[in-house]
Amino acid sequence: MSRGRAVLAFDTATAATVVGLSVDGELVCELADRPAADERPRHAESLLSLCQEALAEAGIAWADLSRIGVGVGPGTFTGLRIGVATAQGLAQASAVPLVAVSTLEALALPVRTAEPTLQVAAVADARRGEAYIAAWSSGGEQTVGDQACPPQQLVAVLAAESATTIAVGDGALIFRKELEIGSIAVPEDRSALHQLAGGALCQLAASNEPLGAEALVPHYVRQPDAEISLQNRTESK
Amino acid sequence: MSGAILGVETSCDDSCAAVLSAEGVILSNVISSQAIHDKYGGVVPEIAARHHLELLTPAIDSALAQAGLGLEQIERVAVTQGPGLIGALLVGVGQAKAIAAARAIPLVAVDHLQGHVAANFISPDSFEPPFVCLIASGGHTLLARVDEHSSYALLGETLDDAAGEAFDKGARMLGLPFPGGPALEALAAGGDSEAFNFPTARNVKGFDFSFAGVKTALLYAIRDLGEEEATRQRADLAASYQRAIVEALVERLERALDADGCGRVAIGGGVAANGPLRERVARLGLESHIPARNLCTDNAAMIASAARFLPECSPAAALALDAYPSGARR
Ligand SMILES: [Zn+2]
Repeated sequence: MSRGRAVLAFDTATAATVVGLSVDGELVCELADRPAADERPRHAESLLSLCQEALAEAGIAWADLSRIGVGVGPGTFTGLRIGVATAQGLAQASAVPLVAVSTLEALALPVRTAEPTLQVAAVADARRGEAYIAAWSSGGEQTVGDQACPPQQLVAVLAAESATTIAVGDGALIFRKELEIGSIAVPEDRSALHQLAGGALCQLAASNEPLGAEALVPHYVRQPDAEISLQNRTESK
Repeated sequence: MSGAILGVETSCDDSCAAVLSAEGVILSNVISSQAIHDKYGGVVPEIAARHHLELLTPAIDSALAQAGLGLEQIERVAVTQGPGLIGALLVGVGQAKAIAAARAIPLVAVDHLQGHVAANFISPDSFEPPFVCLIASGGHTLLARVDEHSSYALLGETLDDAAGEAFDKGARMLGLPFPGGPALEALAAGGDSEAFNFPTARNVKGFDFSFAGVKTALLYAIRDLGEEEATRQRADLAASYQRAIVEALVERLERALDADGCGRVAIGGGVAANGPLRERVARLGLESHIPARNLCTDNAAMIASAARFLPECSPAAALALDAYPSGARR
């Protein structure tokens, strides 16, 4: 059976485990495990099972994939590593090329398509009272690079160029008040725009350049705590 | 059919991959030590996990290359499921699961401690059950009765620090770098092990261990001597401290052997790489087995060895396999 270009893409940077499978640019399967607010993420249990389920549903074997896309964050460190380690193992065993996908870019993509005249900000819960943010202008240029940002600075960083901005993501829900005071629009809580979508992951995976398995590293943004305190100790000496 | 097993182990700070033949002969055993935790004074879980993600793929590649095999000739994947640092374990579990799934070969989940026991089953000089096994490392100290290849019965364990932890903490008190075990052993080689009479927790009943007393005794000895004198007598302090830990381990081992009667003993874990302990166990005059040093410290060959005798995960369980941290026993 001849096949088009099959792209499997997944993300474990947020609490959700999201998997998408597209063939020739068309999303054929999207599966997600989204824990409730009081539940722990289930990346380790869900990720490969969802991938296998998506492939089975589409009747595609691992070796038939033309590339595998993995969300590299920013997001929770452990979640990111589960995704990247899984991608590395899959690539090692199937020789399918790997592609890194920015989690925030994937989060912003559907809104950028729906609202092409606005600046779009992706705002993800970074815990510790902060958000991971990035933003894109209506022209498609990234105006705010991936970073961790405290709530009181969100508006100053995101609306620096005073463009009309819409913000999405679980962080946008947490910091809705701070964003709206700064005239940044946030879609209603139940809007699907706040959720990372498998289709966006596949779309970015299809257009990004493949990487070697060893070049694939998470976009941690934050340093480990031990590194920060070591630097502080060294500086204060 | 080669029957070769790929082993993966990432429970602490070594990224390990190995290939074992179906008969339990080591075809390759790659240990990629991170060697970056010294400056933090101990293994930092987040930093260990980050390094595993960068080191494990090359470690697996070189294990396969050294074995002269491709992944298509591997028929089973074995991975440490726990206990250990959860973030570190998840890198190995994630990658091993993915390899098994993409190649449609069975996955075997291995308990790290069962792995240390199974280091004794590695061919050609495999040591067969029954035997009493002492496992001592920076993360665990336990005595077990091994009656079969696939499991062990716990006889006793440490009530406080692990033996390797006691080595590390003593080494730090003596101004030695992390990891402390090898540094302390080197310093002790030039010292008098009878100079100080450190306690061996003889009064702890049964087969359990305790290293809090010896640690405190070293702290007080250093304080009582004063900085200058303690520095002058460093080698004696190190030798006496090491002897107390070794004796504490061997005393329990002898108790277990007396109670057991099988007369066969094996050791494992990073502390089993300690020279005086190896000599002391060899001098027990029993049928004993001490794996090579690089099979005592954490490695993936022992994980693959354990997998030879363990059941495979069902396909669904393999896909959903999660790691379990230290302290969580299955
Ligand atoms: Zn160990």
